Amino acid sequence: MLLSIQKMSFGVPKSVWVSGLWAGVVAVTGCVDAASGVDRAAPRVLATTTIVADLVRHVAGDRVTVDCLMGPGIDPHGYKATPRDADRLARADLVVASGLHLEGKLGELLEKLAARTRVVAVAEALPRDRLLEIAPGLYDPHVWFDPQLWSLCAPVVAEALAEIDPAGATLFRERARDHASRLVRLDEELRGRIAAIPAERRVLVTAHDAFRYFGRAFSIEVVGVQGTSTESEAGLADINRLVDLIVARRLPAVFVETSVSDRNVQALQEGAQARGQKVQLGGRLYSDSLGGPGSDGETLEAVLRANVAAIVAGLAGAP
Amino acid sequence: MNSLAAIPYNTLVVAVAVAVVGFASGVVGCFGVLRRRALAGDAAAHATLAGVVAAFVVTGRRDLPTLLVGAFVAAMASLGCLVVIRRFTRTRDDAATALVLSVSFGIGIVLLSGLSARGIPGAGGLEQFLLGHTAALTATDAITLAVVSAAVVLVVWAGLKEATLVSFDPAFAAATGWPVAVIDYALVALVAAMVVVGLPAAGAVLVTALVVIPPVAARQWTDRVPTMLILAGVIGLVAAVGGVAASAAVPRLATGPTIVLVASGLFAVSFFCAPERGWFARRRGV
Repeated sequence: MLLSIQKMSFGVPKSVWVSGLWAGVVAVTGCVDAASGVDRAAPRVLATTTIVADLVRHVAGDRVTVDCLMGPGIDPHGYKATPRDADRLARADLVVASGLHLEGKLGELLEKLAARTRVVAVAEALPRDRLLEIAPGLYDPHVWFDPQLWSLCAPVVAEALAEIDPAGATLFRERARDHASRLVRLDEELRGRIAAIPAERRVLVTAHDAFRYFGRAFSIEVVGVQGTSTESEAGLADINRLVDLIVARRLPAVFVETSVSDRNVQALQEGAQARGQKVQLGGRLYSDSLGGPGSDGETLEAVLRANVAAIVAGLAGAP
Repeated sequence: MNSLAAIPYNTLVVAVAVAVVGFASGVVGCFGVLRRRALAGDAAAHATLAGVVAAFVVTGRRDLPTLLVGAFVAAMASLGCLVVIRRFTRTRDDAATALVLSVSFGIGIVLLSGLSARGIPGAGGLEQFLLGHTAALTATDAITLAVVSAAVVLVVWAGLKEATLVSFDPAFAAATGWPVAVIDYALVALVAAMVVVGLPAAGAVLVTALVVIPPVAARQWTDRVPTMLILAGVIGLVAAVGGVAASAAVPRLATGPTIVLVASGLFAVSFFCAPERGWFARRRGV
């Protein structure tokens, strides 16, 4: 219904077809607040991950309803969409994804969906020369761990929102600018805290390679047991190599992630311990998902602060 | 410095764990193969996923013993279904096995996706039981695996006479008053136990290889049951240690699948080179 109205409106001035669109929505859903006369049918945006939802919420304010497909603690690499998800995706006015193959199997569904619904993959809009290339044409998707880089995604969201809610365009752009500058300020703040770690111990050993942008942004060497995706199994040679590294650099802590199994990291810890290097578990880092309500990682800013606090606490102390 | 100390600690732990599991799987798997029930183990292996997820949901814990208990209960339940289907319907053995395998695996996948859709913290990684996490086995895991493996091998050895009789001549065994059904079920239960123990070492999909390939390879070399058991155990052990060595030598080589590939290689050697049943020997015979 919505689509047909949009198609009919070609050539008509934008403001006219937008009000026509609203009239259509109101006519179809009957969603008018009787008391105020203002329609409550705010456009519905569906974000794929909690991190993207956080970005969209910051840019959109309360002009649109923002939902999230994958809740806290879910690993997007291996996520399989249910029929209910396909339904939610099809009913959204705008779908905002992270992109660069972060969503794994869901990516195919999103591509098909793009023929019918607006789908924006924010990280795909980033300049390629600022992305980390894993293999030819394949880029590391974990861009939100570089706050400066992630700040470039805010205007992308603003433009996408402006298309479904043109009346809010100015507001969206303004909020996007505000949010981007907050991210840049956060970047400086975190840089200062990382400085507390002695240079030779700035090595982050984690379960999988989600932190390469983080490492690049904050000058920390990052080593993951598994590859960039969580779906492959680690080999013994990889485990042995990391144990060697931990012992050689006298690292006091290795880290586990909230959305990935910690078995590999436990094996590392045990291997290093057997060679006389006491290694602590340096707290759970948030990686591909924000924390749930009431956790210390409800927003991306909180997640970055919590991660940096855990890393500094783990690596800055005496070995 | 002795030569053992030169081997990295993790390699040593993993090698010991999979060597024990490889030996025991080979021994136990013999009766599954002799009784033509090799795929029952596969059905049990696929059912374990549901058990692992259910154990996590019920207890909220993720340590190996808890999950293995869940896996074992699910494996036994699936084998129980298999027995019931065989006895009370006219479904053939292979169809019944396929039915139990696919349905129980389906239940596991549905439970797992239900869990991940709700975003229960800590659920991430349960799906690792599909692939196994051989390289990440810890000393505690190794001890758990060794104890269960040893117990299973001892039970098989103690019941060797009964198991052999039921495997080769069930009709005679029944006529002389042996509880054939009970022994049969006990044998399958041992295979199930071994499959469950092999889960962390190879994962639900590949663990069947550990209970099927070594016995089939061993069968090529001998007609005597005790010899076959020991040989299958040794082949399982060699495959496990060989897989670990390869995975430790070459970066980015997943340990579990490598073990299965080494086992397949040993089977190929047995298939061609065994003195009487081997391909070359039979060619010469013609």
